[in-house]
Amino acid sequence: MIAFKAICKNPFKSLLIFSSITIAVMAIFLISSVSQGVIGMYSKMIKTDGDIIITQKGISDTFFSNVDISLMDKIDKLEHVSSSYAMIVGASPIGHIPIAGIYGTTANHFSHYKLSSGDYPKEGEVILGENLSKQFKTKSINIANKNFEISGVYRSEIGFEEGGVVMNITDAGRLFNRSASFILVSSSSPNEIDGIVQKISNLESEIEVKTTQNFIKEYNQFKIIENSSFVISFLAFAMGLMGIASVMSMIVNSRKEEFGIMRALGKSRFFIIKNLFFETLAMSLSAYLFALILSLGILALLPHIEMLQGYVNGTLSLATALYVLVSTLFMALLGSLFPAWIASKTDPILLINQGCA
Amino acid sequence: MIQASNISHFYGSEQVLFNLSFEVKSGEFLFLSGESGSGKSTLLSILSTLLKPSSGELLLDGKAVESMKDMDYFRQSKIGFVFQFHYLINYLSVYENIALAAMDDKKQNINKILDELGILELSSRYPNEISGGQRQRVAVARALVNEPKIIFADEPTGSLDSKNSTIVYELLQDAQKKGTTVVVASHDMQIQNYATKIIRLKDGQIL
Ligand SMILES: Nc1ncnc2c1ncn2[C@@H]1O[C@H](COP(=O)(O)OP(=O)(O)OP(=O)(O)O)[C@@H](O)[C@H]1O
Ligand SMILES: [Mg+2]
Repeated sequence: MIAFKAICKNPFKSLLIFSSITIAVMAIFLISSVSQGVIGMYSKMIKTDGDIIITQKGISDTFFSNVDISLMDKIDKLEHVSSSYAMIVGASPIGHIPIAGIYGTTANHFSHYKLSSGDYPKEGEVILGENLSKQFKTKSINIANKNFEISGVYRSEIGFEEGGVVMNITDAGRLFNRSASFILVSSSSPNEIDGIVQKISNLESEIEVKTTQNFIKEYNQFKIIENSSFVISFLAFAMGLMGIASVMSMIVNSRKEEFGIMRALGKSRFFIIKNLFFETLAMSLSAYLFALILSLGILALLPHIEMLQGYVNGTLSLATALYVLVSTLFMALLGSLFPAWIASKTDPILLINQGCA
Repeated sequence: MIQASNISHFYGSEQVLFNLSFEVKSGEFLFLSGESGSGKSTLLSILSTLLKPSSGELLLDGKAVESMKDMDYFRQSKIGFVFQFHYLINYLSVYENIALAAMDDKKQNINKILDELGILELSSRYPNEISGGQRQRVAVARALVNEPKIIFADEPTGSLDSKNSTIVYELLQDAQKKGTTVVVASHDMQIQNYATKIIRLKDGQIL
């Protein structure tokens, strides 16, 4: 196949195309999947253990929300409510670590954190996420000038959590000076959820009650991350694609002489376009696969990089992968076939002389 | 074999060929001579179908080029080219370059031709691994492989020394003796010794 000979005999050019496609595709993958990963982790944290979330009215960020924890008693008495728990989400320097997540929760939610050693915390105690625990060999740690005994270590598939500490909500309440950031309510009857939302709303005026699904959809921080990552990855993608198209067309232009010779030898336009098509396809497809493998590798490594403490995580969706594949192939083919098509309509001798000039 | 009538050509608004009419019979060796810039290459490109003339009519082997249906097939089967610079494809070996041009039923001739031109042992080398004279012989081999009716050559020896030039001329003459029509555009007056017909151009007109 003449297309593959062209690739192999011009290793430098081939490498140029290959690496420019690889880098463009990787940029898209990494930017979009890291931001999706951040959103995904946080949504998962909220979604896994509740159907309804209660936050302070008018406070859009869970970090600043303050809800009265005594509300839980009233909620637990409502019909169709199976359980509820309260949480304080905060962040603070821990020992020598400049910032880490602190999760204060009611004791009935401790089981969410799977212990890999030790016991769940009593008052004045904390358990450390596995990632964070690697940084501490001591028996106690200092959080916001208060000392806490370390009672155990837990595991979580959510990167945020593995890099943080879990304590009793009363301890966290003293640290962050609030009752609870939010309360999560579970119901065993999915059909009654809207009714429960209504009933809880009637309990108090200073709260906002939403299904967790709606909450995640409307959560401002997510929208900001999503929109900005969309813009960044779109720009990276657009630049990458234009790069791919222009590298391809530069290379095709530098091969006009060759096309002229082929036309002079009686090779059809179709023959030239077809070979270029396979050449481009082979190159961009292999670069795409290479980028995909590298990106997946990097994404798999991210949670294990100690410096990041598991905070940066990424997931690559099939939809993104396919979308990027299609647009990469499209731009590569457009960039190579369009100039080739124009060239194939030019008088062969003009192509040949252009090449020689 | 070649009938040209009232061929004119413009590059942009500059006219470089003026109403040229002539005929070349089958089996002739035509020498297109003239000063630099007189229009030899332009005329040769038109005669060989690689450039559309601005006006005029051209018949090759009795067929009007302008209305030709299968130009690709005609070029491959009836015409051979030799250019001033070899114009081989750099990522194909000597053998593959010739095979690219060869029609399916002529592929078996490749080794025979390479042997006749004394370059058989180079057949697996790439164009950048052989000398200029050898490259030009490969280009001649490529032009001969389909046993074309007409061979067009533009300065085929422009980059060769006189020994290699003579080799190329003799190869073209051999083809002509076997019945092929040969058209060569060149400065080199040595070709007079091989030509059966000479057309002199001056400023785009026949002298
Ligand atoms: N692609 C082109 N665009 C514009 N003008 C051209 C082009 N090719 C040739 N010319 C002009 O046409 C005229 C004839 O050129 P041509 O190449 O046919 O001459 P030539 O007889 O082959 O010259 P030489 O002996 O130097 O090869 C020249 O004046 C040249 O400048
Ligand atoms: Mg010339």
